[in-house]
Amino acid sequence: MASKEAKKRVPLRKGAFQPPASDKENGYIIGSRCRKCGHYYYRKRAVCLNCHSEEIEEVALSTRGTIWTYTIARQSYPGTLLVPPFVIAMVELPEQVQLMTAITDCDPEAVRIGMEVELYFWKVREDEDGNEVMAFAFRPVSN
Amino acid sequence: MAEKEVAILGVGLHKFGRQLGKSCEHMGREAGLMALKDNKVDFKDVQIGFCGHCNQPLGTGLHTFSELGMTGIPITNVEVACASSSRGVILGADLIAAGAYDMCMVIGVEKMPRGMVPGLVGDISDASYEHILGLVVMPGTYSMMANRHSHLYGTKREHFAQSAVKAHRNGSLNPLATYQEVYTLEEIMNARMIADPITVYMCSANCDGASAVILCSKEKAKQYTAKPVLLVGWAQGTPIYHQGDPALSEGPTDLLAQKAYEMADVGPEDIDVAQIHDAFSPGEIFSAEKLGFCPEGEGGPFIWEGNTEINGKIPINTDGGLVSCGHPIGATGGRMITELTWQLRGQAGPRQVENPKVALLQNAGLGGMNVMIFKI
Repeated sequence: MASKEAKKRVPLRKGAFQPPASDKENGYIIGSRCRKCGHYYYRKRAVCLNCHSEEIEEVALSTRGTIWTYTIARQSYPGTLLVPPFVIAMVELPEQVQLMTAITDCDPEAVRIGMEVELYFWKVREDEDGNEVMAFAFRPVSN
Repeated sequence: MAEKEVAILGVGLHKFGRQLGKSCEHMGREAGLMALKDNKVDFKDVQIGFCGHCNQPLGTGLHTFSELGMTGIPITNVEVACASSSRGVILGADLIAAGAYDMCMVIGVEKMPRGMVPGLVGDISDASYEHILGLVVMPGTYSMMANRHSHLYGTKREHFAQSAVKAHRNGSLNPLATYQEVYTLEEIMNARMIADPITVYMCSANCDGASAVILCSKEKAKQYTAKPVLLVGWAQGTPIYHQGDPALSEGPTDLLAQKAYEMADVGPEDIDVAQIHDAFSPGEIFSAEKLGFCPEGEGGPFIWEGNTEINGKIPINTDGGLVSCGHPIGATGGRMITELTWQLRGQAGPRQVENPKVALLQNAGLGGMNVMIFKI
């Protein structure tokens, strides 16, 4: 009871995203925005690729996007997380950022280019300190 | 000072194959000796060397060249993933054109284990989130580009597979290829799927092999042969940032092709034979468009209708390409140059295209892309 509320959520890999601290809060994908020219990027960047300014701030990227393209992976790299078949996709966010991600929580055969998708977190496992280790991907928007 | 013209004086290959059990030094030596003997070049006349490889130990360039001689020349290892040895030749060409060196040798070597391509990720603790999740699978980006291409242009799975049908058939005419099996369209489409729409027979395989290219100034080449193959245009580059671009391509193919065409003073319609990067079969469809062999979006039908067969309008990958030859990463660029040289000289045997005069190479990797144009 008390120990369940004390469980922290940590990302599977630091630097890519911040999982929601609780079920009532929102997590986000870590992105960057150039203060000089306004271009956005996935992850923290030190130098803007458009104008080369170093005035970059960390931002939370949009949580909804559109599938730009995808494939169904039937084979995976040993030691990686997802079990085939799974969908690898490029998701386009409104900030004009394209993100390589997975489309989960659906039948891979049902995925289509142009589909609206939303950010989705899930627990992968618990670590030695009892924290919940989280991953993120996208899933079709439930209408 | 006017730029010097560049000639390809000698070429050689060690057979490509799965786990041949030979060292890189040994395979490189055999390819190198073949290239030296091609036009009777003495190793002592080579002034500078480059060794293309990706996953071999420190010192591989020195040890490989030392099989041929130890003359004190500068030897530099070049790594641009799949485009390593063609990049080595471009580096040599720039030096020769500038008059800095007159005779350069490029040896490409690779030994590869079975399974996934090594070296994609460094220390696993540095692995990206995408890699940990499992998104970084080799045909992944080509598959995604293929599906986008189908979405935009209606390209069919059969179109992508047809490139592999041709690759395997051409490979069966090439004793130096890893695979010499002919497969039907059905066999290729029904083979084990790796990432839709790419099946295992539409993928290049890890293998071992070596290639060697000797280049020099045109005036020097004329001391050895009356009609040398000339390298008349080249361009090298990396992907360019564009806002909103998914950045799935290895480089700006069309821009590099344009630069190379301008330098060579030819257009796509002048190309008689080509080598393009088919790490996975859809690459042929994309490159045929980007290189200007057919209009944008029409690559599928273009390949499907046989235009890139040996007796077609623009023969592509007459030796079987990466898909049938296999892909010892560091050696692939040199293999492309070797086949194009043999084609221009009329030495391609059963794969010979009728009277080619101008050839084009497009070689891409995780790290950059090269486009080169040759004439005889």
